[in-house]
Amino acid sequence: MKVSLNWIRELSGVTAKTPELLEIIGSRLGAIDKVTDVGGRYEGIFIAKVVSCENHPSADKLYVCLIDDKGVVKGVKRNSKGLVQVVCGAPNVKAGMLVAWVAPGGVVPATADKEPLVIEVKEVRGVASSGMLASAKELGLGDNHAGILELDDSAKIGASFAKTYELDDQIIDIENKMFTHRPDCFGILGVAREVAGISHQKFSSPGWYRQDAKVASGRLGLRLEIKNDAPKFVPRFSAVVIGGVKVGPSPVWLQATLGKLDIKPVNNVVDITNYMMILSAQPLHAYDYDKVATGILGVRPSRTGEELKLLGGKSIKLKTGAVVITDGRKPIGLAGIMGGADTEVSAGTQNIILECATFDPNQTRKMAYEYGLFTEAATRFTKRMSPHQNMPVLARAAELIHQLAGGVPGSSQDAKNSLPKPVRISVAPDFINSRLGLDIAEVEMKRLLTNVEFQVDTALGKLNVAAPFWRTDIVIAEDIVEEIGRLYGYEHLIAELPTKNIAPVEKDPLLELKANLRDILAKAGGNELLTYSFVHGSLMQNACQNLQKAYHLRNAISPDLQYYRQSLTPSLMAKVHPAIKTGFGEFAIFELGKGHIRGLLDSEKLPKELEKLALVIASKKPKFGAAYFSAKKLCDYLLHELGINEARYTTIDLDNSTQTPAYYEPSRAAELKVGGRTIGQLGEYRASVRLALKLPQYCAGFDLDLEELMDLVALDRYQPLNRYPAIEQDLCLRSPTHLTYETLTNFVRRELDQASRQHGYKYVIDPLDIFQRDAETSHKQTTWRINLSHFGRTLTTTEANHLFDNLAAAAKKQLGAERV
Amino acid sequence: MEYKNPEIAEAAKQLKAEFGRLQNKRAILRSPSLTALYGRLKSLSTGTDRANFGKEVNELKKELEGLVKNQISPAIALKPIDITAPFDINISPAQRPGLLPAETGSKHPLMSELEKILDIFAKMGFGAVESRELDDDYHMFTSLNFALDHSARDEYDTFVTDEGLIAPAHTSTMQNRVLKEHKADLEQGKAIAVVIPGRTFRNEDVDARHDHTFYQLEGVYVSQGVHAGMLVATIRTWLSNYYGRDIKIKIQPFYFPFTEPSFEFAASCMFCEEKGCNICSHTGWIELGGCGMIHPNVLKEAGIDAVKYTGFAWGFGIERLVMLKYAVEDIRHFESGNLKFLRQFK
Repeated sequence: MKVSLNWIRELSGVTAKTPELLEIIGSRLGAIDKVTDVGGRYEGIFIAKVVSCENHPSADKLYVCLIDDKGVVKGVKRNSKGLVQVVCGAPNVKAGMLVAWVAPGGVVPATADKEPLVIEVKEVRGVASSGMLASAKELGLGDNHAGILELDDSAKIGASFAKTYELDDQIIDIENKMFTHRPDCFGILGVAREVAGISHQKFSSPGWYRQDAKVASGRLGLRLEIKNDAPKFVPRFSAVVIGGVKVGPSPVWLQATLGKLDIKPVNNVVDITNYMMILSAQPLHAYDYDKVATGILGVRPSRTGEELKLLGGKSIKLKTGAVVITDGRKPIGLAGIMGGADTEVSAGTQNIILECATFDPNQTRKMAYEYGLFTEAATRFTKRMSPHQNMPVLARAAELIHQLAGGVPGSSQDAKNSLPKPVRISVAPDFINSRLGLDIAEVEMKRLLTNVEFQVDTALGKLNVAAPFWRTDIVIAEDIVEEIGRLYGYEHLIAELPTKNIAPVEKDPLLELKANLRDILAKAGGNELLTYSFVHGSLMQNACQNLQKAYHLRNAISPDLQYYRQSLTPSLMAKVHPAIKTGFGEFAIFELGKGHIRGLLDSEKLPKELEKLALVIASKKPKFGAAYFSAKKLCDYLLHELGINEARYTTIDLDNSTQTPAYYEPSRAAELKVGGRTIGQLGEYRASVRLALKLPQYCAGFDLDLEELMDLVALDRYQPLNRYPAIEQDLCLRSPTHLTYETLTNFVRRELDQASRQHGYKYVIDPLDIFQRDAETSHKQTTWRINLSHFGRTLTTTEANHLFDNLAAAAKKQLGAERV
Repeated sequence: MEYKNPEIAEAAKQLKAEFGRLQNKRAILRSPSLTALYGRLKSLSTGTDRANFGKEVNELKKELEGLVKNQISPAIALKPIDITAPFDINISPAQRPGLLPAETGSKHPLMSELEKILDIFAKMGFGAVESRELDDDYHMFTSLNFALDHSARDEYDTFVTDEGLIAPAHTSTMQNRVLKEHKADLEQGKAIAVVIPGRTFRNEDVDARHDHTFYQLEGVYVSQGVHAGMLVATIRTWLSNYYGRDIKIKIQPFYFPFTEPSFEFAASCMFCEEKGCNICSHTGWIELGGCGMIHPNVLKEAGIDAVKYTGFAWGFGIERLVMLKYAVEDIRHFESGNLKFLRQFK
């Protein structure tokens, strides 16, 4: 919302200097995005009179003018009568006219914000020229460049152009979001009222801005009928015919007012509708009466296939569901958004229909989106304009058209439904003070509210508040709290902490686990990554994931971000190649986050959020052995740190598992199980995945399910120290290759457990080596180091040997494994 | 794949037979039988027949591409491994995989800072729960007093799935759940004090200061006699603690449907002590987030007596705080996966 500070000062009577004004607007009204000093653009521009105008001696289309500035500009070459010579090429330049003169050294305003064009004294075809006479376009006031801007007779020769037309102004841009609920603040009038309110000054709306205003009407013999066939979307539809309009350029003050707010002046009628919109926030539209052949102005739902040529010439094909303005037959405007080209007010227009309506905010919003037309009018109607302001705005606009374009009002029409009743809220001052933590006196509250034209009376210890008709946002008592707090000034709030219960806060187990995992993996040399929750479909396909199982965004920014990821690993895999390219030879990257699988729902019947840890380890250069074991090392460490010691690595059963991500290579991957529950998967990736994602040969990783882990995390355990020495022996078994390490180790453990139960031993078993001869792949040799001890005595070598001999015999008998 | 056009059906049969015989499987895509079909397509006059023919030819080509893709995955013969073993067979102790050096390890700066932030809030009495990444319209909007189809929804530029589910644009999507879950505490005289960190998403242009994905932290406090000054004090206390110095808070009016009154809050610049510097754009203040007194309709929607209890809520972005703390110049580094960036944070 662009706002002129001069205009605000004029309407509100607030005289504060700009820095003060900005401070108070920022803190009590809304954040200011930008401040533009318009006045700076017009320095060195003065009002001058063209005294004489002769043809240029050596150019057909140029004129040599002598201008009078009453001598205000110093250091300019003048003739004996004090006049300045300027060469001008405008076809409309003539003696006697008042013009805007850019004196030498001045800048052309339209260029001021980009590449400033400085006007110098120069020779034009051999004739000296001091400065330039400017067109509306050069002055930054619209597009007109057909000739120089002719100023009104009332302009004072020698005066500053900026001062005369209120261009010595600052335009501020207040964030629209602040006014989402404040239709009134989309008009200067509303903002001025607020500025008065926050400056603790009384504001009075101009006399014409009254709910009961009436449009002057007369007899013109121009028939006007209005038909509202969409009352649900158009609570109020009002119009007046105005005859005998002389369409032409607006007076310069009006052009300047619009121009500085970046609205292009068009002609006096259109400019007045825009002026009234800027002032009151209420959009208006003028139609050429004689082009609305039927004399009917209707509004109705659109029909499929209807066409409408909009202002500016663009044609749209309408669908059902829009609301259109019609001439009783065909559409001539898109309600609340934009008028049609066929009934546009132009130079030849004599009679007009001036429409002032209220359109439903949601309907307007839908249409703006449907047709991609986010106009000034649409912005305002979506904020819920009060239908009570139609009549005052229409009446005032008709009056201005009479003053500036000579139009005379004829018949007026007003189709309205039941209009909203005034809102009355009864609220105790204590209620307000308790919400704000302040102690504002009742009389002060009353004053703050009446400053911005609320009606307030106090009875039985309560404020009875009636909101003014333009405040469609006031509904409940909390709205009055906001009003008073803001007008009073939030900087007065007293910061005071709530009193705290001393009970400790319970930790969230998921957040705690994540923090724990982060520490463990960082300590193990891992790098935590965050990657987007949205991925490209091709990433999932490359990772052998089924797109049908992923949630798809219907309004993704780009194909890269089209799908919700099912698991985190593919996102990590996508980061491996770039990391290698940047020069990282070996790394383990991990992420803690959420996956979503379409159709998998939680207890709220919403997509289940799968809490995951994924890790990928990669080495640019091949290393010894399978990468699988690198990932396993990290995973084992992680589980150990969490106190989970019973995890088993089991063969992936692709036929019976829907959970296993398909990017794992089944022959080199495992499912992690604890007590029959699957807690994750670990392994190397399929060749096609490696190829598609440019993964190095040495690459593997794991996915862990955090909800499962959460239930398993155990306290650290302590083993008391032993006073007696232990015996350490290595055990090597030569077994058929197909017997897994787990089978062998479990066998050894069982035997050791049995002996320990019998004799009270304690033992620790660690893998030492797994070995196979090239020539003998049917067998392998596995070596463990076993540390055997007793808490009550020193063990003898004999009993240890006896134990190992028994173990070896059992291994031979039960597993066909020989002790080596 | 069944082809309706007999000409294509026949060609498909031939091509598949040819594929079986080929040494170089990729050559099938250049087979004359296939190119001939494209030649035929050009000779057909425009119309439904041509369109259907073209469609089937394309489908055939896709089918062949599929065949090729499945066949040419490099068959690197991997020797079987014992997945239960702690290390691979015949690997000497020195060659066995270990952990990576601890000094290369790193925690993501957003996450470690978030842990610090949650820690401060925990000391202040706030529990924590993570926000959702996929939610419904009810939690994102309706339960937060957004009128149906209200233009306030436009401000959020949300991503929406085909099913109409929403990628939350703010962590307030959890407010209703948190209020409901803890409302029994109120009756026992305890306050509801919860912070909600989480990923949020907005469909907006990405640049050095904006990303479509970012982290937010929501705070909710409800009890009896809660007022706006407490909101200011809570934010100020936490921020001062986080930056390790006294930070001032400035609130400006704003509009959110789920708070009344609503504010934006800014912190006094931690770099220049309000004197004005590049970081605060010479204003002395840094905008951080939104906040306000929880709208009575939001409390009511969660079954809380909005006459008896009042509360406040706030939300801010984590990235901004961390960028300010470490002078990180581009928000896009955070989700880039760039190890040069990440390894600077221990």
